[in-house]
Amino acid sequence: MSVWNYVVTAHKPTNVTHSCVGNFTAPNQLNLIIAKCTRIEIHLLTPHGLQPMLDVPIYGRIATLELFRPHNEAQDFLFIATQRYKFCVLQWDAESSDLITRAMGDVSDRIGRPTDNGQIGIIDPDCRLIGLHLYDGLFKVIPFDNKGQLKEAFNIRLEELQVLDIKFLYGCSKPTIGVLYQDNKDARHVKTYEVSLKDKDFVEGPWSQSNLDNGAGLLIPVPLPLGGVIIIGEETIVYCSATAFKAIPIRPSIIRAYGRVDADGSRYLLSDHTGLLHLLVIIHEKERVTGLKIENLGETSVASTISYLDNAVVYVGSSYGDSQLIKLNLQPDAKGSYVEVLDRYVNLGPITDFCIVDLERQGQGQVVTCSGAYKDGSLRVVRNGIGINEQAAVELEGIKGLWSLKSSTDDPHDTFLVVSFITETRFLAMNMEDELEETEIEGFDAQTQTLYCQNAINDQLVQVTSNAVRLVSSTSRELLDQWNAPAGFSVNVATANASQVLLATGGGNLVYIEIRESKLVEVKHIQLEYEISCLDINPIGENSTHSSLAAVGMWTDISVRIFSLPGLELFKKENLGGEIIPRSVLLCAFEGVPYLLCALGDGHLFSFQLNISNGALGDRKKVSLGTQPISLRTFSSKDTTHVFAASDRPTVIYSSNKKLLYSNVNLKEVSHMCPFNTAAFPDSLAIAKEGELSIGTIDDIQKLHIRTIPLGEHARRICHQEKTRTFAICTLRAASTEDMETHFVRLLDDQSFDIISTYALDAYEYGCCVLSCSFAEDSNAYYCVGTAYVLPEENEPSKGRILIFAVEDGKLQLLAEKETKGAVYRLNSFNGKLLAAINQKIQLYKWVAREDGSHELQSECGHHGHILALYVQTRGDFIVVGDLMKSISLLVYKHEEGAIEELARDYNANWMTAVEILDDDVYLGAENNFNLFTVRKNSDAATDEERGRLEVVGEFHLGEFINCFRHGSLVMRLPDSDTGAIIPTVIFGTVNGVIGIVASLPHDQYLFLEKLQVNLVKVIKGVGGLSHEQWRSFNNEKKTVDARNFLDGDLIESFLDLSRVKMEEVSKTMGVPVEELCKRVEELTRLH
Amino acid sequence: MWTWKALKQREDGLLRPSAFRRGVVSSRASSLQLSNAKEFISLHRGAINSLEIDSTEGEGRYLLSAASDGTVAVFDTHRPTSSSTSSCASIAQHHPLFHLPRAHKFAISRALWYPVDTGLFITASFDHYVKLWDTNSTQVVLDYKLPAKVYGIAMSSIATSHSLIATATADVQVRLCDLASGAFAHTLSGHRDGVMSLEWSSSTEFVLITGGCDGAIRFWDIRRPGTFLLLDQSLSQLGTRPPLLPTPTPSNNESTSLPASSKSSSSTPILPAQKRRSHKKIQLKPPTQSSHPGMASSQNRATAHYGAVNGLRATADGFYLLSSGSDSRLRLWDIESGRNTLVNYEAMSIQTSKPIQLAVTPDSSLVFVPCLASLKAYDLWSGTTINTYRGHYESVNCCFFNAQYQELYTGSNDRQILVWSPSIPAATQIVYLYILGIP
Repeated sequence: MSVWNYVVTAHKPTNVTHSCVGNFTAPNQLNLIIAKCTRIEIHLLTPHGLQPMLDVPIYGRIATLELFRPHNEAQDFLFIATQRYKFCVLQWDAESSDLITRAMGDVSDRIGRPTDNGQIGIIDPDCRLIGLHLYDGLFKVIPFDNKGQLKEAFNIRLEELQVLDIKFLYGCSKPTIGVLYQDNKDARHVKTYEVSLKDKDFVEGPWSQSNLDNGAGLLIPVPLPLGGVIIIGEETIVYCSATAFKAIPIRPSIIRAYGRVDADGSRYLLSDHTGLLHLLVIIHEKERVTGLKIENLGETSVASTISYLDNAVVYVGSSYGDSQLIKLNLQPDAKGSYVEVLDRYVNLGPITDFCIVDLERQGQGQVVTCSGAYKDGSLRVVRNGIGINEQAAVELEGIKGLWSLKSSTDDPHDTFLVVSFITETRFLAMNMEDELEETEIEGFDAQTQTLYCQNAINDQLVQVTSNAVRLVSSTSRELLDQWNAPAGFSVNVATANASQVLLATGGGNLVYIEIRESKLVEVKHIQLEYEISCLDINPIGENSTHSSLAAVGMWTDISVRIFSLPGLELFKKENLGGEIIPRSVLLCAFEGVPYLLCALGDGHLFSFQLNISNGALGDRKKVSLGTQPISLRTFSSKDTTHVFAASDRPTVIYSSNKKLLYSNVNLKEVSHMCPFNTAAFPDSLAIAKEGELSIGTIDDIQKLHIRTIPLGEHARRICHQEKTRTFAICTLRAASTEDMETHFVRLLDDQSFDIISTYALDAYEYGCCVLSCSFAEDSNAYYCVGTAYVLPEENEPSKGRILIFAVEDGKLQLLAEKETKGAVYRLNSFNGKLLAAINQKIQLYKWVAREDGSHELQSECGHHGHILALYVQTRGDFIVVGDLMKSISLLVYKHEEGAIEELARDYNANWMTAVEILDDDVYLGAENNFNLFTVRKNSDAATDEERGRLEVVGEFHLGEFINCFRHGSLVMRLPDSDTGAIIPTVIFGTVNGVIGIVASLPHDQYLFLEKLQVNLVKVIKGVGGLSHEQWRSFNNEKKTVDARNFLDGDLIESFLDLSRVKMEEVSKTMGVPVEELCKRVEELTRLH
Repeated sequence: MWTWKALKQREDGLLRPSAFRRGVVSSRASSLQLSNAKEFISLHRGAINSLEIDSTEGEGRYLLSAASDGTVAVFDTHRPTSSSTSSCASIAQHHPLFHLPRAHKFAISRALWYPVDTGLFITASFDHYVKLWDTNSTQVVLDYKLPAKVYGIAMSSIATSHSLIATATADVQVRLCDLASGAFAHTLSGHRDGVMSLEWSSSTEFVLITGGCDGAIRFWDIRRPGTFLLLDQSLSQLGTRPPLLPTPTPSNNESTSLPASSKSSSSTPILPAQKRRSHKKIQLKPPTQSSHPGMASSQNRATAHYGAVNGLRATADGFYLLSSGSDSRLRLWDIESGRNTLVNYEAMSIQTSKPIQLAVTPDSSLVFVPCLASLKAYDLWSGTTINTYRGHYESVNCCFFNAQYQELYTGSNDRQILVWSPSIPAATQIVYLYILGIP
C-alpha cells in the first residue's frame, strides 16, 4: 500500500518572485534579498560579486517582501507576508548570523473575497503604516507606533473591487496611497486616498487620473523631490502628480518589473515581456517634471523583479528563464546592447513537462525538463551527481597508481603524469603539440612500482618505491638523495607532502622522513604492534607544505590512529569496529573544518571532525559509497578542495553549509584518480578505469547537475523513445503579434540534443501531448501527438488531431492521422491501443492494418461524464482521470463488452493539475491550491455507495503548483542498500522549477519518521515564527485540514543540519541514539 | 479560447490558479442553459418551494427539495440513478434517493440541510411545525410548534458557538429554536407584520437579517435585544462603500458623531452633505444604551421595499445583501453602512404571495431571481439582465446555484425541478486581466 508518503525536494525552487536591496545585515553592508516563492536568500554585496549569507525556507508562499527602516534604526527590517495571510517582520542578528522575529501575525479576515489579482503589501516610505490588499474591497492597515512597533490592524473599505496595483506616495504629510483599478466597464483609473489613522478611514487624496491606458498595470511611486507616480501601460507611460501630467507612447509591450536606479527617483529600469530592458528617465528642471524619455538598453531574461545594486550592476530575477547579474555599460557593444551579463543563476521554472531517461545506460535516471517560457524556453537535463566530460583517453591495463607532477614548484600547470604498474612505472608528459607522450625522469626508478610521488619544496620531486625513497631535482631531473629501506624490509605503504614523507615497512615499522634542500633526513622511526594498511599526512593546518598530524590505518585491530609529527606520538586511537580493514585515510579540510576520512575495503566510509591541536576525533559518521575498496584523493575545482573517492561507485565528497555531501560521479568504476591541470587540459582529472586512462574535466561540484539546451522557443511537452534514441518535443514559437504562434513537433537526438527533424503543425493548431508507444500486433515504436485547433472565434477547441509518426532515417514520418472532436489533452498507451482524453471524453482507439499494409486509428469505445478530462494515467485495465474540477475518477476497460465504465470517484471538488497511480489501489493527485492528496479505491467495501467512492487517505499542502508526475528516480537504486526493498518513488515538476520526490514508505518507517517529524517541529522553529503545522495543512476554498499520511521530507532531512546539542535533544525525546537517527535520515537523503 | 489559453498560462505560472478558477467559474456561470444531459425526476405533486444542496466540506452533493404537497425528497446530484449514460444522446436521470410523502400536513415552505453534515435536515411548513429529521432513518427527531404558518427558516453556516434555527412566520415575532436544548431560545420583536424571509450574516455568526411583510429589513445581534439596523430605501450611497471622510480641517474634531457640522465637502454629488453626515454612525454595532434600543428601533418605520420583503440573500464575501420585494424590485444593500446602493436592476416581476429563493454566484458577479414563470440572471453591479431562463410553465419559487460545478436548479409551481448547466464545457470569452505579475 502506498498510503504513507514522504515528500521531499530534490531541486529547490529557482523561480525568483521578489527581490530587494538594503542594509539588512549591518548598517554599512549592502544586501540583496531574493525570494524564491517558499525560500528567501540573503546575499552580501562584495567587490567580487554576490556572496551568499543565508538561504532559508519560509513556511508559506511569499506574497510580499519589503525592506523598511523604522525610525531610530540603523539598518533595515524585512517584512514578509505569505499567501495564506501570515506576516512577519525579521531582523538580522549579527551575533548568531541568523534571523530574529520582531513581529508576526495573522491578517486573514472573515469578510471579503480573496483577491485574484495578487496580494499587495506595501510600506509607507515614512514608516507610519503597512498597507495590505488581500481581499477585494478591503485595505488593511497595520500602523506603527512611535517606537516602530506594530499596532493593531484595521480594515478600510475600498470602493474599487478590481485593484491592479496600490503604492504609497512619497512626501505626503499624511500617508497616502495611489490605487490603480479597473471599473465595471473595463476602463482603468488611478485614485489617491489619504489614510486617516485616527478615523480608521480614507480621506480623499490630492489627485486622481481617469481613463488611462487599457493595459495599465503597474504604479511606480517617485520619491521626493519630484513626488507623484509613474503609471506603466502597454502603449503609454504616464507621469502623474497633483501638478503635472506627462505621457509618452511606447512600443506595445507588457512591462511587469521595474527597478529604481537613483535615490532621487529620476531613472528607472523597466523590463518587458520579451526581456528587453529599458531605461526610463524623468526629465525635470529642479522639482518640475518636464517630460519622460525611454531608451532601450538591451536584452536580458524576462524579468519578474529588478534590483539595482550598485555601480551599474543590476540583479534581474526571472520566473521564465535564468536569473542574471548584469552590468550596464556606458558604451554599447557591437550589437548596440548596453547589457553585459556577469553571472547567471539557473532557473528550471516553469517545468511544464519532463521525462525520465537513462541516456548513459548506467541504471541512473536523468530528468529532462521542458523549462522556461517564450524566448527563454529550453530543455534541461538534470542529473544527480557530477559529470566527467572525457577529453582524451588511452588504453592502459593494470594501473596501480597515478600522480601528477609539476616541472617546478611555481609552475601553475602540471607537466608529468606518473603511472604506476605492478612491475614498472611510466612517465607521461605533455609535448609541444599538446599530446601526451612517454618520457623519462632520469632520477626516478622506472623499473619498480611507484607507491607515491610528490612535488616537494625547492623544485624537487620525491618518489617512493617498495625499496627506496628518491629525491630528484625537478629542473635537472637528477637524483639528489636516496633513502633505502632497511635490508629485509620493503616499503608497503607511503605518503608524502611537499616537505614530509611517511612510510611503513613490514612489521609495523613507521618511518618519518623530512625533505630538506637536496636531502632526505630520517627523523623518527617507531614500531607499532600491527601491520599498517594506509597512511596520510596531507597538510590541513595553516602551513600548506607541512603537516603536524599523521593518520594511520591499521590491520588486525581495525583502527585508525592519529600521530603527531615530527614526534610520532600517538594522539588518538579510534577503533572502527567490524572486520573490514581501512584501505585509505585522508586528512582534509572543508570550508575550514578539518576532517579525517577513512575508507574501508567494503565501500564504507567513516568521517570524523578532527581537532588539529590534539588530534581528537568527533562527530563520527559512517556511510556506504559502494561495495569495493575506496581510495581517497583530494582535488580542487573552482578554488575549493574536494575529495574524490575512487571505487566501483566513484563519489565526490564535498561540503556545503558545513555538512559533508556525497555526490555520485557518472563513471562506472574508477581505480585511481589524480588532478591533472595542464595548458591543454585545464582543471582536468586523470582517471584510471578498467583498461583505460582518461583525462576529463569535472562539472561544478553540486548535488544535482543541470545541463541547459537552449531552444529559443517554448518547449511544452517531451517524450523519449528508447528504440530510436530520440526525443520528440512539442514547441511553440511566438510571432510578433500576440495570437500568431506557430507550433512544431521536433525530433531531437538524445545524445547531441540536435534537432534532426521538424513537423510544423497547421495554422492555429497546438500540440497538446506527445507519447511514444507501440501497438498490439505492431511492435514498431511510434510517436503519437495530440493536437487542438484553437480558432480565435471559438470558445472551446472543437477539432483536433491525433498524429502518428514513425522515425525513419532520423526523420519524422507521418503515417496516420485521425481527426477528433476536440482538443486531445492526453494520450496514453493502453492494452496495445491508444487512449485519448478529448475534451469531456475518454476515447479508445485501435490500430488497425488496412489492406494496403498501412495502418489507421479506429475508434473503439469511449466514456463521457467529465468536464474536461485533462490528466489521464493507466495501469492494466484501469484508467485514472484527473478532471478540470471534478477531482479524480477511476474507470475500467471491460474487454468482453469493449466498453469503459466508471468504477469510482472522489466527490470532493478538487481542481486537478496532475494525477499519478501509486499502486493498484492508491492514486496521487495535485490540485489547484498547491495541495497534494491521495485517494484509495474501496473495492471490498460492503455497499455500492462505498465502492463507488474513492476515499481520501492522505492530504498535504505542498505549496507548489505541480504540472507533471512521473514514476522514476534520480539516483542509482542499489537493491542491497540498508533500506532493504526498493522504495517506490514518483518525481514531480512544478512551476517554480522544483523537482521533488514522493516516496511511498513502509508503514513502520513512516511511523518512525512521523514521530521524528513531530519532535523536529518542536526543535526547528519556522522563520518568522510561522507554524509548520499550519503551512502543511491541506487548504482550499472550502476547507483546511491537518496534513495526514504525508511527511515533510525537507523538514526531516534538516535534522542533519542541526547542531549536536539539538540532535541530542531530539534523540532524547525519541529515545533513539543520534547515530541511529542520522543513519536513518541519511538513508532518506539517498532517495534523491 | 479562454480555457485553452488559461490552462496553458496556469501551467506556465502566468495565471494564478485562483484567478484561473474564478475565470472558469464565472464564464461557465454566465453560459447556463437548460441541461440536455441531466434531469431530476420529481415525485412531488405540488409546487416546489425549496431547493438546497448541502454545504458540507468538499462534497456538496445532495439536493434537498420540498413541495407544497408536504413532501420532501433528496437527490444525488453527482451520480445518476438510471444507468443509461453510456451512449451520448441519453439523459442522465436522477431519481430521488428517498421521497417522504407525508412529511408535513400542509405545504412545506422551506427545507434546509443541517450546515455541518448531511445527517440531519430541517423542514418548515404552513402546518405551523418546524421538524428536524434524521436523514438516514428519515424519522423526525425534534419538532417545534410555532404560532403561525412558517414561511422560512435559516441556520448559520459559520456558527461555531450556537446551533439556532431562526424561523420566519406569519407572526410578527422571529423565534430562534435551539437544537441543543430542543426549545425556543429567544424571540426577536420589531416587525409589524409577518416575516417572509430571513438570512444569517455570512461574516458574523450572531447577526440575523429578517425581511417582513411590513417592508422592513431588520438586523439583529442575537446577543443583544432589539434591532440594531433597519434598512431604509431612501438612504443611499453611490458606489460600493460609504462616502469618504471629508478633507479634514484642523479646528474641528472629526471623530465625533455630531450631525450638527454640515461642512461642505467635495465628494459624492448625490447627497447633500448634511444628510450623509447624519447617518454616518450606522454601523454593525448596537447603539449606545441611552434609551431602550429595541424600542428606539421599533419606533422607526423605515422600509426597504414598498410591500413584503419576500427574498433575502447575502453575498458570500459578507459585504452586501440582496433583497427582493413584492414591489417587484431587487435591491443591493451595503451591509456595513446599511445603505441602498441604488443599483437599478432591470424590469422584473416577482410573485407577491410567497417567499422566493434568490441565488448569487460565489464571486458575486451574478444574481438569479425567479420572475414568475421565468428566471433572470442580473449582473450584480450594473443591474443589467445577463440572461432570462425560460423552461418552467408556471411561477418559479426557488433556485439554487451549485457553485461546485456551476449548475443552477430551479423549482416551480409546475412541480418540476429543472437543471441549467453551462452550455459549453468550460468557458466563453470573458474579459480577463489576470495575466499581470507573478502567481
